[in-house]
Amino acid sequence: MVPYEYYVALSGFLMVLGFIGVIVRKNIIAMLISTELMLNAVNIAFVAFDMKLHDVVGQVFVFFILTIAAAEAAIGLGLIMAIYRMKKDVDVEKLTELKG
Amino acid sequence: MELSVVAFWVLSAIAVLSAIGVVFFKNIVYSVLSLISTLIAISGLFFNLGAELIGALQILIYAVAIVVFYVLVISTVPQYKGEAVDPKYALLSAPFGFILFLELAYVSVYGLWASNTGIFSPDIFNQISNAKAVATLLFTKYLFPFEVASLILLVAMIGAILLGRKEIVEEGGA
Repeated sequence: MVPYEYYVALSGFLMVLGFIGVIVRKNIIAMLISTELMLNAVNIAFVAFDMKLHDVVGQVFVFFILTIAAAEAAIGLGLIMAIYRMKKDVDVEKLTELKG
Repeated sequence: MELSVVAFWVLSAIAVLSAIGVVFFKNIVYSVLSLISTLIAISGLFFNLGAELIGALQILIYAVAIVVFYVLVISTVPQYKGEAVDPKYALLSAPFGFILFLELAYVSVYGLWASNTGIFSPDIFNQISNAKAVATLLFTKYLFPFEVASLILLVAMIGAILLGRKEIVEEGGA
């Protein structure tokens, strides 16, 4: 068996990568994708701690995270479509005001 | 070497490399393809951990449903021309990423949240299947949050429809 610490370390790596992606990328869609990476990192940590603690509460919370990720994707991408329709751009450097 | 150990190293290598691809690929389509690779590798890790229900859901919901959203929007929004990664923010992200990593490592290594040993004793845990245990908990103790989650999905759906619809141009208006 792989010790659960390895899974937690992997989760940390993916979390940091997603965080860097949110900061570094200029495209809003890429920033949303990096957020998905961070959510997945949390899921790995939840399931790994479940296996360590002989529990399933973490997996129940993975359910909720999946739900929130789906809702976030729907709303976020809807917003991106609306922003693109107004501004004809998805570059965060150029989207500096909310006024259409 | 034990098979689960081999599976862990192969799958986690795929997951980390694809995640690097998600962040640093210039073309957004390649980013989404790397994201699918990461998600499938992570679902393999869930299977490896014994969480078969979550692994299946990971493929069904993430790798199929959510990624289809992204592909749909990418096909609508034209490819953004120009540098994908901002160099000045790349420089900025390194120290902050390192701080975040140190924080996560500190909390994980010293186990600041370490508390109980779970509600299932190991022998009961081995008797009932994992999916059964998750479902039992989800439909008893966490029933109300489950219903709230369905409401959140409904609200998100209505919001996405409202945001995504075309503006109706009023005929003969002022």
